[in-house]
Amino acid sequence: MRAGRLAAWVLGIWLVLPLVPVVIWTAARGWRFPDLLPADWSGRAMAQALSPSSGVPQALFTGTALALAVTAIALALGIPAGRALGLARFRGKRAVEVAILAPLIVPPVAYVFGLQALFLRLGLAPSAAGVALAHLVPVLPYVILVMAAVFAGHDTRLEEEARSLGASPAQVFVLVTLPAVGPSAAVAALLAFLVSWGQYLPTLAIGGGRVATPPLALYAYISSGRHDIAAAIAVLSLLPGLAVIWLTRRAFPRALPVPP
Amino acid sequence: MRSPLLPVLPALAVLALLFYGALALSAARSLGIPPAPGLDFPSLAPWRLVLSDPAVWRSAGLSLWISAVSTALSAMLAFGVAVLIRQAPAGRPVLGFLLRLNLTVPHLVGAAGMLFLWAQSGLAARVALAAGLIDGPAAFPALIWDPWALGIVLVYVWKEAPFIALILLAQSGPADAAREDTARTLGASRLQVIRHVTLPSLLPGLAAASAIVFAFTFGAYEVPLLLGASDPVALPVLAWQRFTDPDLAARPQAMALALLVALLSAAAILVHLGAVRRLRAW
Amino acid sequence: MAPRAALALVLSLLPVLLPALALPPAARADTADGARLIGRPWAEIEAEARGGEVNFFLWGGADSINAYVSDYIGGILKERYGITLNRVPLTDTADAVSIVLTEKEAGNTDRGSVDLIWINGVNFRTMRQGGLVWCGYTSTLPNDALVDWSDPSVARDFGVPVDGCEVPWSGAQMAFAHDSARLAEPPRSIPALIEWVKANPGRFTYPAPPDFNGSAFVRHVFYHAAGGVEGLLGPFDQARFDAVAPRAWAILNGIEPYLWRGGATYPNSIAQLQTLFANGEVDLSFEYNPSQFGVGVENGTFPATVRTFGLTDGTLANTSYTAIPFNSPHKAAAMVVQNLLLSGEAQLHKARPDVWGAPPGIDIDRTAPKLRAAFAALPVHPSVIPAAELAKSALPELQPEWIAAIEKGWIENVGRK
Repeated sequence: MRAGRLAAWVLGIWLVLPLVPVVIWTAARGWRFPDLLPADWSGRAMAQALSPSSGVPQALFTGTALALAVTAIALALGIPAGRALGLARFRGKRAVEVAILAPLIVPPVAYVFGLQALFLRLGLAPSAAGVALAHLVPVLPYVILVMAAVFAGHDTRLEEEARSLGASPAQVFVLVTLPAVGPSAAVAALLAFLVSWGQYLPTLAIGGGRVATPPLALYAYISSGRHDIAAAIAVLSLLPGLAVIWLTRRAFPRALPVPP
Repeated sequence: MRSPLLPVLPALAVLALLFYGALALSAARSLGIPPAPGLDFPSLAPWRLVLSDPAVWRSAGLSLWISAVSTALSAMLAFGVAVLIRQAPAGRPVLGFLLRLNLTVPHLVGAAGMLFLWAQSGLAARVALAAGLIDGPAAFPALIWDPWALGIVLVYVWKEAPFIALILLAQSGPADAAREDTARTLGASRLQVIRHVTLPSLLPGLAAASAIVFAFTFGAYEVPLLLGASDPVALPVLAWQRFTDPDLAARPQAMALALLVALLSAAAILVHLGAVRRLRAW
Repeated sequence: MAPRAALALVLSLLPVLLPALALPPAARADTADGARLIGRPWAEIEAEARGGEVNFFLWGGADSINAYVSDYIGGILKERYGITLNRVPLTDTADAVSIVLTEKEAGNTDRGSVDLIWINGVNFRTMRQGGLVWCGYTSTLPNDALVDWSDPSVARDFGVPVDGCEVPWSGAQMAFAHDSARLAEPPRSIPALIEWVKANPGRFTYPAPPDFNGSAFVRHVFYHAAGGVEGLLGPFDQARFDAVAPRAWAILNGIEPYLWRGGATYPNSIAQLQTLFANGEVDLSFEYNPSQFGVGVENGTFPATVRTFGLTDGTLANTSYTAIPFNSPHKAAAMVVQNLLLSGEAQLHKARPDVWGAPPGIDIDRTAPKLRAAFAALPVHPSVIPAAELAKSALPELQPEWIAAIEKGWIENVGRK
């Protein structure tokens, strides 16, 4: 038990450790070797990060809008697809599942070049709409597979009873199906939001530098040596994740897969 | 009779265009087929150039190294974490929160943290200096921008071990706990239980999740971009360099490199599916 | 409870999605036809530009430059002309050139996504050769009168004639830096530097080409290997290159084991070098924009004891420009931006050490007397060597073909492990 306690502590510290200097940098004005703590404290980094001239507020807005749009499209397409895959049996179902799994596992670098070429011809690159579609590639399969798992454990008898009592398909969906799978769908939606929120290469390739999201802003500031502003962006990037954890705190389903 | 496939079709169509269509276009471009149908015959030249380029092999080797080491370490660590959390109820809510927090942290944020922490003039080095363990930045081990990509591996292990651990925890249920209890009451030691009961039950899930992690770390771009050495660069970074080369002749090569990554990920998918099948058999 | 809250949250945010989905495409091509703008009265061009937008692509690696462009220039544009300036940061100017090139290949001649590029050297030559840049309009800009086109270092961009295809913005000259508290007497010439590196292993490095500043450092060594710059000026000469290059690679390979990390890796960018310098991992640094060291001291990045210096055998000096791509749909607004960038007030503000500290691209003597006095009265940051003093030992830049060959040669002969 003592070894287990120690291991738990080590694990906890290890999980938090990289975030410590990030948080310190957000309030630092100059933090050079060999100082353990910044020579000067200042709220300037966060202030600069939040001012429009840094491009960060725009990036936060764009990232949020993109993630919301992508999640909504993924839900609209993915819930019916997930339901069909979860409940129905048909020939070639396995093949369909694999076809949907592939975009989830294949890394973005494999398809964004071709996607950029395709979107250039369609006039979708560089554009935010194009970036939203690019984000669909990892997000849509994720929603489909999660909803398929949820529906696989779903009892359709309630719906059948409602139908037999005269309810229309729409009524059945809203009054019976949605309350049953809605919470899991919401959790899936929140995690899907995070997948889009953290995307880097698709946004860079399809956005052509015109579409700025927090990961792109973060990289720009780290690679130009402004660790304090980069840290401020990093902390701001963590907020949606914290919100998701809080919103799902009581309902983290056991069988719900999570993005890598 | 409406086909049960009907509701799946819109999603499939979108993926067919955006993913498979993009891959097909990459394949075409890598064979020298230009966008506007012209009189150019398909050419294997880009593939020949790519496969005979020592820089490509060095980059591929580096990426393979990164993904193999990251996956192996993450899997081992995840197994340990899963065992720990299941057996040590104290502190579980805090650990659970920290694990889920880790999941929501974008990879670049983790990379930034590792940079600030492990650079030769980073926080860990400063602590070492204060403790008298080193006398200057050069004495601190080179973990960032180093030829063994240690910093990159650190970031991936930090992010993917919790990912795999949470999958393992989600998949193990009361049946497994019961089996472990039975083994204990039959006189098995803790270590024997872990080796003969826990490990076999978690192995399929471990393999399935590891395949995903392997594919992901092989093809990831932003962490090697930030923390990698200047030569060789990871394969996705090399592909991007060729893609944005002002010399447009390099572009088909970039497409070929992208397909190389896709092919390796396909292999990882097959491993994953095989492991999932074994998991379902359990 | 919480999952239902999550569901409600997601559903309630759906109305936000529709406007987000309808994000506007590129603005209408109002002034894509440049030919009819050339020679028009300026008031008409200003009127056409009013209310438009300009996508200005420029290297985004310096916060001070970003702030100057977004806040100062962007602010004036918005106030005076109602023009929205979109600053698009680049890690490498070649990325913007690549965009225009791809658009031209795709047949896009009037809906380009790039309206203005901060550019010079190799990238300008690429655009010129590819017919990617709009030319012939520069005399239409009123502030073009402030430019001394008779100065060869302005009329020629890295040896390539400008020919009315771009407009100067700033001067730049490479300077080195050391922390006087850590290193009292730095080496002050390339030969002295080479000796110093061998005597002080692990205390120096330079960014790998094709980083702009790293490539410039390699060219300093190249000039030294050639025994001077005279034989290298002019069009690319393969024979001359083959005679000098091996000596340069020998020098650079010779110091490689004595570099930071033993030369196992080079910093990927000038910013990475600056971070190493700031943290004392290396003792020397350099920059085309020495005023950046002053900016860095003020924002706490560097210690106040940092001092910049030139080399006795000279450092590279050049002019950087702004250019309008051939397919920009907002040429009138881009012209207004260029005119503003050229103005005495904007150049003065840019020269202030607490803003950017960049030497002006215009001829100060052609500005109004009040501005001339203000230029003369500009404060000098203690860490930054005055531009006039540095200019005494200015070296000309090589033509782009030389630079491309040197960069490629470095990557193959020195950078490859």
